[in-house]
Amino acid sequence: MALSFIDGNEAIARAAVRAGCRFFSGYPITPATTIYQQMLKLLPPLKGVCLQGEDEIASIGFCLGASMAGLKAMTATSGPGISLYSEQISFALSGEIPLVIVDVQRLGPSTGSATKGADGDIQFLRWGSSGGLPVVVLAPVDVRDCYILTMHAFNLAEQYRCPVFIASNKEIGMTRESIEIDSLDTPDLLTRKYCPEDQPYLPFQVPPGTMIPPFLPIGGSRLVRQTSSTHDPEGYITADTDIIGQVIERLDKKLVTNVDTFTFFEFDSDPDAETLLLVYGVTARAAKTAVEQMRKGGKAISLLILKTLYPVPEDFIKQCINEVKRVVVVEMNLGQYVREIERLAESQHVSHFGKMDGELISPELIQQVIAL
Amino acid sequence: MAVKDYLRQRFFPHMWCPGCGHGTILNSLLRAIEELELEKKDIVMTSGIGCSARISGYVDFHSLHTMHGRALACATGVKLSRPHLNVIVPMGDGDALAIGGNHFIHAARRNIDITAIVMNNRIYGMTGGQFSPLSGVGIKATTAPYTTIDNNFDVVELATAAGASFVARSTAYHVKESTDILKQAIQHKGFSVVEILSQCPTHYGRKNKEGDAVSMLELHKTNTAKIGSKALEKNPVLTPRGIFVDTDKPEYCAEYEKVIAFAMKEKTS
Repeated sequence: MALSFIDGNEAIARAAVRAGCRFFSGYPITPATTIYQQMLKLLPPLKGVCLQGEDEIASIGFCLGASMAGLKAMTATSGPGISLYSEQISFALSGEIPLVIVDVQRLGPSTGSATKGADGDIQFLRWGSSGGLPVVVLAPVDVRDCYILTMHAFNLAEQYRCPVFIASNKEIGMTRESIEIDSLDTPDLLTRKYCPEDQPYLPFQVPPGTMIPPFLPIGGSRLVRQTSSTHDPEGYITADTDIIGQVIERLDKKLVTNVDTFTFFEFDSDPDAETLLLVYGVTARAAKTAVEQMRKGGKAISLLILKTLYPVPEDFIKQCINEVKRVVVVEMNLGQYVREIERLAESQHVSHFGKMDGELISPELIQQVIAL
Repeated sequence: MAVKDYLRQRFFPHMWCPGCGHGTILNSLLRAIEELELEKKDIVMTSGIGCSARISGYVDFHSLHTMHGRALACATGVKLSRPHLNVIVPMGDGDALAIGGNHFIHAARRNIDITAIVMNNRIYGMTGGQFSPLSGVGIKATTAPYTTIDNNFDVVELATAAGASFVARSTAYHVKESTDILKQAIQHKGFSVVEILSQCPTHYGRKNKEGDAVSMLELHKTNTAKIGSKALEKNPVLTPRGIFVDTDKPEYCAEYEKVIAFAMKEKTS
């Protein structure tokens, strides 16, 4: 059992390759670039492709082409790159093209601070595509999570044929930690379901009882049709409003109704607690310390660390917050995920603390906020 | 195989206006594919958005109808993943050289084995007649009611400077010449650019007093001349047609194979 001393970005790259990723493309951007550098080391010896685009728009386009050709693909960037990915995220949603997108978040808005962390893209990842259909957003806390959640991200992209985001943060991406990869609880690998050879292939026809159309690769032995326009089950452009409505509803439901099966979290509940501290991302690390100290001081408090941010695991969150009278959401932005909690809370009082100055939120600050 | 077997007939009638040159270009393209005896499953037609991009819906090959300007980006991903495929990318002038201009020059620079067809009608048709980077100066368009002041790209010069290893031009009038050039472009190993002048009587012709489709087709004939022809020598302002570049240069997918071979050797040594 060997220990690895690696940062979050390297963990993502290693996990991606283990998950079967064989196509990566990106455009240089701090603090995501080292994912690309790791992929360059790992992919070509496995006959994989690792490519530098002329911009982020091209990079994600390469990935979509590769995914349609049947390869597991990933790209990595930071906020300014996600901005340029937007139109192709929409295409991946409508065309049901599996893709893993890593956002190593840095402090925005705009160019912002390239070497300072933030969790300022959380709602942007959810809503940064035209049409507003749901996406999957997973948020790692540390290097270990980067590894495990990346493997889940590939599975979810394959299983649900959709874009899956990993919402990392400069602090996680560029901090080295010791992890024992062999001992991690990693999932079995999933691959998109192919259309059986003895069945006719209609690109967006969903078998009864399922919500995901079987896949065939562009360039394979049977002809494949893909389009960014509204389409019918046969993959032809359609203006039939009944069909359009059914397809859009399916794209929404295929994720929202299944989020219980991929809700990742750590829930440290104290039955005596009246307050629940709710966090995600790197802030969870300070929250753990804060909770430990408060408990030492005799205060009862519960801690929920969410790792599946979108689709919002509503039932699960409600269940957790129903145990308490007060929910405190702490995040590295001026109040993004708290909006989801506010709409889910019934009688509970929801308060928020967030800041965006490039500094991590300290355990002491969290304790002060909770003491208010 | 008959040309009609390359069409998804269920999709017809097509959406092009009467007199549009795009159907004629599709005809030339399908005949080129037929003469080359390519298998349907070995062709990926990747397109963006616009009148020209609809081609990918009409042909019975693998088809990847993507986003405005991004066809070459997606096509690059497909080609690198499955290098044996014939990847053909029909684009309009706006799709290829306005919103897609960056991908166009970089695909040419890489010399990746893709056939790019620029169906140049010098106007945005689908959105109602706006000028494009290929319209040129002094043209009337819905976004240039006082005539354009924007200079145009010369696709042949641009593609050549950017590194495309096959560059040609023909017109919707010269259907057999187009077929012949497209055959060579598809067979060429490297980035091939074929500009085919098309006509848009609905928007360009009407606004710029070029008459109906027939008179616009006449202009393709009278305003152009073959490279090396006496007509061109006598009248150098004519737009030259023919093959301008046909060179043997390292192709991107083949070069990437070398990267893989090198990386595998490094890994084992």
